[in-house]
Amino acid sequence: MSSYRLTKGGLVDRNAPLSFTFDGRPLRGFAGDTLASALLANGRMLVGRSFKYHRPRGILTAGAAEPNALVTIGRGGRTEPNTRATMQELYEGLEAQSQNRWPSLEFDVGALNGLLSPFLGAGFYYKTFMWPAPLWEKFYEPVIRKAAGLGKASYESDPDAYEKSWAHCDLLVIGAGPTGLAAALTAGRAGARVILVDEGALPGGSLLFDTATIDGKAAADFARDASAELQSMPNVRLMMRTTAFGWYDGNVFGAVERVQKHVRDPARQLVVERLWRIVARHALLASGAEERPLVFGGNDRPGVMMASAMRTYLNRYGVAPGRATAIFTTDDSGYALARDLEAAHVDVVAIVDSRSSAGVDYRGKARLIREAVVCGTKGRKAISAIEVHRGGQTETIAVDALAMAGGFSPIIHLACHRGGKPAWSAEKAAFLAPDGLNGLDLAGAAAATTDLAACLAEGAARSQAIVTAFGLSCPPVVLPKVEGDEGTHDSKPLWSIPGVKGKAFVDFQNDVHLKDIGLAVSEGYSHVELAKRYTTNGMATDQGKLSNVNAIGLIAKARGVSPAEVGTTTFRPFYTPVSFGALTGAHTGHHFQPVRKSPLHDWAKKHGAVFVETGLWYRSSWFPRNGEQTWRESVDREVLNVRQNAGLCDVSMLGKIEISGSDAAEFLNRVYCNAFLKLPVGRARYGLMLREDGMIYDDGTTSRLEENRFFMTTTTAYAAGVMNHLEFCAQALWPELDVRLASITDQWAQMAIAGPKARTILQRIVDEDISDAAFPFLAAREVSLFGGALHGCLFQISFSGELAYELAVPAGYGESVADALMEAGRDHGIMPYGVETLSVLRIEKGHVTHNEINGTVVPADLGFGKMVSASKPDFIGKAMLQREGLAASDRPQLVGVVPLDPKQSFRSGSHVLAKGAAATLESDQGYVTSSAYSPHIGSTIALALVKNGSSRHGEEVVVWNGLHGESTPARLCNPVFFDPQNERLHV
Amino acid sequence: MSEFRPTLRPALATKQAVASAALKLSPLPEGTIVHVLARPGEQDVVSFLGSLAKPAAHAVRPVSPGQWFIVHEEPMPHKEMKSLFAALEPRATGVDQSHGRVRIRIEGKMASRALSKGTAVDLDPSAFPVGQSAVTLIGHIAAHVTRVGPEAFEIIVLRGFAESLWDDLARMSLEFT
Repeated sequence: MSSYRLTKGGLVDRNAPLSFTFDGRPLRGFAGDTLASALLANGRMLVGRSFKYHRPRGILTAGAAEPNALVTIGRGGRTEPNTRATMQELYEGLEAQSQNRWPSLEFDVGALNGLLSPFLGAGFYYKTFMWPAPLWEKFYEPVIRKAAGLGKASYESDPDAYEKSWAHCDLLVIGAGPTGLAAALTAGRAGARVILVDEGALPGGSLLFDTATIDGKAAADFARDASAELQSMPNVRLMMRTTAFGWYDGNVFGAVERVQKHVRDPARQLVVERLWRIVARHALLASGAEERPLVFGGNDRPGVMMASAMRTYLNRYGVAPGRATAIFTTDDSGYALARDLEAAHVDVVAIVDSRSSAGVDYRGKARLIREAVVCGTKGRKAISAIEVHRGGQTETIAVDALAMAGGFSPIIHLACHRGGKPAWSAEKAAFLAPDGLNGLDLAGAAAATTDLAACLAEGAARSQAIVTAFGLSCPPVVLPKVEGDEGTHDSKPLWSIPGVKGKAFVDFQNDVHLKDIGLAVSEGYSHVELAKRYTTNGMATDQGKLSNVNAIGLIAKARGVSPAEVGTTTFRPFYTPVSFGALTGAHTGHHFQPVRKSPLHDWAKKHGAVFVETGLWYRSSWFPRNGEQTWRESVDREVLNVRQNAGLCDVSMLGKIEISGSDAAEFLNRVYCNAFLKLPVGRARYGLMLREDGMIYDDGTTSRLEENRFFMTTTTAYAAGVMNHLEFCAQALWPELDVRLASITDQWAQMAIAGPKARTILQRIVDEDISDAAFPFLAAREVSLFGGALHGCLFQISFSGELAYELAVPAGYGESVADALMEAGRDHGIMPYGVETLSVLRIEKGHVTHNEINGTVVPADLGFGKMVSASKPDFIGKAMLQREGLAASDRPQLVGVVPLDPKQSFRSGSHVLAKGAAATLESDQGYVTSSAYSPHIGSTIALALVKNGSSRHGEEVVVWNGLHGESTPARLCNPVFFDPQNERLHV
Repeated sequence: MSEFRPTLRPALATKQAVASAALKLSPLPEGTIVHVLARPGEQDVVSFLGSLAKPAAHAVRPVSPGQWFIVHEEPMPHKEMKSLFAALEPRATGVDQSHGRVRIRIEGKMASRALSKGTAVDLDPSAFPVGQSAVTLIGHIAAHVTRVGPEAFEIIVLRGFAESLWDDLARMSLEFT
């Protein structure tokens, strides 16, 4: 316990104390703290256990790259594992738990893994646990997974809401540090539409811990004033707590806004996270730079911290890292830290500089050790000493905190999300974003500019150039005066440290250490992509933000080449992890997918319909009545009633398309395989639409209501597909035709009235004469209803095989008209029926649906061979239909199937085998496409597609269902089970 | 049953208006929507429609190349609709969509923010001024959006999806109400 809160300083609100717990222990912090700063303020150096070796780990960074301080926040459905304590804002009542330890963080049995480390090196699971082989799945893997891990997700549902939103701007600035603020101010003052995003709670970035002054103001005050000016501009949107996580095609950026992750009780009307898709004319990446760790022995011990993080905790949060701090630096930034620590009266024991000279003239109290490195550390759960290696000698110095400053890597991830590869700059000793990015610029530390004044100037200049290119006039930029900046950070990379003692970690989160990298290279996995996968370096949730560059440097050194030659692995979204909640957005529960409701939905509901989801539609499936125990009882009753009296069925979901124009008939003649050119006005015709390959695409009736106006119906499932197909035909295939297409599916409430009493019932509401003579089978006309109170379209068409009509009325009147028909039919026994009954009725008649039109059948397969026009010059599918394979006699053909024993049954999907054939797939001759119990036949009946089926009526076969182990003797038969002469259509 | 008078059941009859100082969501009357589809190659159809459709009472909304909606608050009698269709010919075809589409109005200073949760269309007045229309997805549902005032939008949606879209819009508006 050596870190502590200073008595003054920092941006935390010392008048706003907050209580929180860590592993159940009550602790205190201040408003403005992160969980990490509050833990440090309470002297909690040990905050987690490492992934593989369960080594004690402390807080390494002060930002998004944190690999160690991963904790679980919250409880119940709000449990959030793997939360970076460095990013989590403190709030009253926050509950945090450490992870990957048992039984406790202080005493973790898993730490025994450290003793096994000789066997757990890179790729150990490729070499060990090889035998006995069955134990891998049953024992080895579960044990390994249990021993190595992160936090555990909750099994409870998340009570909070999430959503997505779009935003548009001229200039998107990513990062509200000095560069980003300068850029946003410049563009905002020029009148551009600006969005400025930053992952932090406060704008300012490095200004929040910088001790420089800008125009005489403290850096943090400059940031506050700049953001206040931005917020006052109506053309600027400042989005804090928002991480831009990806750059996508069309200059769209993904970002996640943590709206209420910093409060204990989220407001119900607000989401907790919002996923943004930001469309930017241009973007400026001002994401800053990440400090590189140094790879020395024990560099993961609690108390070892990045120098810039230590400076952040000191200056922004008023937290001292320890009582005796050492700084291991490869650049001048270590001296700025020393200066700030000493100004806060925190002892700096030593500055260990790997260089022979520094760019700053250090005059503090710390012992300055040049041309030296830290090669190891000591301590158990926190650092107690460092071992300094200089000139072949090693010296031990007692410390309780160590800062490491290994130079800076520009944060260029987003600039590489669209295929660009980072390029190594020997001058900057860093990977830089590729040149010539379209729609994206970089500025400031993200472009390896580190001097504060230069960052401000560069942000303003880039922004000015961008908005000027949009044609906006930019007011003259007046650059603020910077004083007290620690200067540039040019560093000489120090990949390999001599005399390393103990494990020197490269990837902290995945426990990849120096020897693992060496092992990968020596075993032939020296390509950066192979080394990554062999060692798992860079594969943790931090995606190697700290580790990748060091791994590349070490591989380069081992291979004797430049980092440029090694290159980087591929940068992909997401920059930091994004919750599934944010990705899902609002599409959960009631909002999971849209519901498409028929205009007769409420009519069906009040008649007790049981609904079934058909795509997005809710269709009435059957209408149970009192006393009926099973759905079959209801369906049998409905089926019998339609054939005996009449039934009313909602068929509004059928696709309906109005086709008009002077070439509408010619158009239909080309779209359908049968003739439509001479269809008389007032008549409907069943049509088959083929694909170019000759297979049937869809079917339905199309009626000619006027000379140049047709009313097409499609199947429910293919309604949108047929509309698209027709549009393609009209726009791309035959643009010379005058044809216009309008989807009218939703305009009409359409109901089928079927049964011998249908006409009698319907005549009560239809004003015109609909006798068989006046309105025969396949008549189709606009009709007047209720004495002219309403107009609709009436079609005499039948799917049930009974005398039947379909009546379409304007949708808003649908329920009222259905009510009227039920009233008109009350004395005639009318009942509502659903799609189950519809299906039984059509199977009894051998009518096909998409069960049979399965994409592999041609018209002849279903008995429609004669419908295909031989005289039309062309239609879609005509050419390919001539292929001999599509006319072969052994093609699957539509046939009926009944069980030999009426008491037996079988299921749709079952295979049809020849009698006596072995029950194997090799014996398969076809399959049952549709089946139902027919109350008229008294048994199961089915339609099937069977090889040469149409000439095998009467043949005994076996219906075999291998999945359920069922085998049923059956007979092939005529697919029309009921009224084969169609006499009932004309009663 | 010539004495029977069918009653209209609006798609959003059961929905309560959502209203606050920042945002108001309300169903519009199920009046008239005529889908106009021009004959290929026709020119100056908009002015032709304007001459037919009594500009004061009707509004013309562009839908896609060669297609428009004529919208009106009141239902159009059957005869009048037939006359309009006849007047459109042969330059264009009229299709009655008065029942197939439902109109919703969303207005207020936060209306565009709420809508941006569903549509990728840039609704800034500089990019989407009054009178501009777009066919877009709002969440998962296709819709036709028109800016009808500085802070007011009209949404036209398929009747079957109207309730779902309303529920989605109410959810999107939650933080502003």
